Amino acid sequence: MTQSFLSIKDVSKTFGTVQAVDGLSLDIRKNEFFALLGASGSGKTTLLRMLAGFEDLSAGDITLEGTSIAGLAPNQRPLNLMFQSYALFPHMTVAQNIAYGLEMDRLPKAEIAARVNEILEVIQLGHLAKRKPEQLSGGQRQRVALARALVKRPKVLLLDEPLGALDKKLRSEMQLELKRLQHEFGITFIIVTHDQEEALVMADRIAIMKDGKLLQVGTPHDIYEAPQSKFAADFIGVMNFLPVEKKGTNFVGADGSVIRSESVTEIAKNGAAIAAIRPERLHVTGTGENQLSGEIAAVAYHGLDLLLHIKTPLSDTPVISRMTADEADGHAPEVGQSITVQWSAKDTHIFPN
Amino acid sequence: MSTDRRPMILMTPAMLWLFGLMVVPCVLILVLAFFRRGVYGGIEYTVTLENLALVFDPLYFKIFLKSAGIAGLSAAIACVLGYAAAYAIAAMPRRHQSMLLFFAVLPFWSNYLVRTYAWIVLLNREGLIVNLARWLGFEGELPSMLYSEQAVIIGLVYNYLPFVILSCYAPLSRLNPDISEASRDLGASGWTTFRRVTLPMTVPGIATGFVFVFVLSIGNFVTPALLGGGQFQMIGNLVYAQFLTANDWPFGAALSMVLIAVMLGLLMLQAVVAERASGRKGAQNG
Ligand SMILES: Nc1ncnc2c1ncn2[C@@H]1O[C@H](COP(=O)(O)OP(=O)(O)OP(=O)(O)O)[C@@H](O)[C@H]1O
Ligand SMILES: [Mg+2]
Repeated sequence: MTQSFLSIKDVSKTFGTVQAVDGLSLDIRKNEFFALLGASGSGKTTLLRMLAGFEDLSAGDITLEGTSIAGLAPNQRPLNLMFQSYALFPHMTVAQNIAYGLEMDRLPKAEIAARVNEILEVIQLGHLAKRKPEQLSGGQRQRVALARALVKRPKVLLLDEPLGALDKKLRSEMQLELKRLQHEFGITFIIVTHDQEEALVMADRIAIMKDGKLLQVGTPHDIYEAPQSKFAADFIGVMNFLPVEKKGTNFVGADGSVIRSESVTEIAKNGAAIAAIRPERLHVTGTGENQLSGEIAAVAYHGLDLLLHIKTPLSDTPVISRMTADEADGHAPEVGQSITVQWSAKDTHIFPN
Repeated sequence: MSTDRRPMILMTPAMLWLFGLMVVPCVLILVLAFFRRGVYGGIEYTVTLENLALVFDPLYFKIFLKSAGIAGLSAAIACVLGYAAAYAIAAMPRRHQSMLLFFAVLPFWSNYLVRTYAWIVLLNREGLIVNLARWLGFEGELPSMLYSEQAVIIGLVYNYLPFVILSCYAPLSRLNPDISEASRDLGASGWTTFRRVTLPMTVPGIATGFVFVFVLSIGNFVTPALLGGGQFQMIGNLVYAQFLTANDWPFGAALSMVLIAVMLGLLMLQAVVAERASGRKGAQNG
């Protein structure tokens, strides 16, 4: 099951003095929906371009099903890239754009026509087959670009921020659509995104990139519940950070209280550290090994839940606690009220700061 | 609403200029072409189609065809050379491109006549090119290249090449590199990508360059006179002669009129080509 399908081995890329990708290794499984997540400039696009064959490797190797593809030209690789700019051919119609890759494979005309029609059906753009890209909306162009890459049935489809140019509503529709298509076609997807929520929703596994290196690779659940660094914890979702100091075997918060944790990352002796807790793990009712008291500075209503902003001596910024609508029923907290929240040691992560 | 008039005001001087120097002469030519030549030169104001018919007289029409042939060949050669140069410039790092373009266009800033005379020096029997061939060990009698059709074509291509480089460079430099990469990604070789993507997308630049060189060449009378040495006439020389030596203004006007009609036709064709390649026009469905 976990046989190595696409294998990236110690790959580096330098542009002049810039180390865009730095000794990165990663194994991607067959039929996996894999998301590359990272801040701007972390090397995501560079990595995809190396996979597609548009950048040479400065070091390392890439193998697909056991054979190296590092030396192959882009047109010889069984991978396709969907460009962030879509890169549709403006002088060709939608149908011609989609047929282009099949013509390059020298398929018989009848088969090309059949496959173009089939994929037009799938992306629901059959009625626009004869239009030019200029005459399409952003969302329609995006679907044509996707179809053009998918119709070749590549072994791996690379998508560089495919939803970046779409508005929020269309984005969430397309997220589900992508997921459906990936399932239907049984193709490995590697998707680059800025948007952590998008990665959580769509991906089977996520890699967090920083400065050309991988910080953490795991399932959305792992990444969200068990971040391995402060950066990863901060990057995904909302996170409360409380500065702590190591005193003996204990971690002590700014107000002198001891904060207990079952998840401590290696820290230099007596070094400054930081404790991270998700808002939904801070409970107004219930029990836990840790607790903090403070004054409610703001209440943000989100429909499904309430976010309480609590001013506390433990941290400079207010701590956020998430309350479900059920919990809030009857005794809705008010601004100015003092409050105590509890959380468990197993929900507390301590990282070097 | 006074702001709406501002564009009009700004356009007026240019419009007056164009009207005075383009529209009025064109109308004059249009009118003149339908009058009869006076017995002692001058114009006789009786309406006739004789002049127009004379243009299509084999004697003159042959000159027309020959001029079109020379202009077409010059334009084609200029397009091949110019496109290649523009392609190379557009492939250079951005920071070098404006410098290279500057050098490509540099000859333009010197006088047309001086440049044409320079070719006389290069091409004549004792000229640089013949001497160079001798120096390289070429034996025997070398024909003068001057005063021939080839010399005229060389002169025309040389003179108008910068136009073509500029007109081809514009669309080439605007090409999004993602698009040719997408073609490679979809399985096309470099050559196929050029043939099916790059070339069709930049054809408007070639069309503009071609029409430009063609139109300027077919009406040119300086280069044929100097480099062709009066060996043959092009349509420009014929028009020139009608107005200035033969004193047959109506026939000169008729020749000009046909020439202008050909040029307008070509310009329209070029506009259509540009429109097509941009993807704005094409079959629509639903
Ligand atoms: N062709 C290039 N020449 C020089 N430097 C480059 C080149 N391409 C990328 N870089 C540099 O490499 C680093 C990584 O760039 P890359 O485009 O891979 O980042 P990214 O993660 O895709 O960022 P974004 O989220 O903004 O798209 C950046 O510092 C960038 O400036
Ligand atoms: Mg990028």
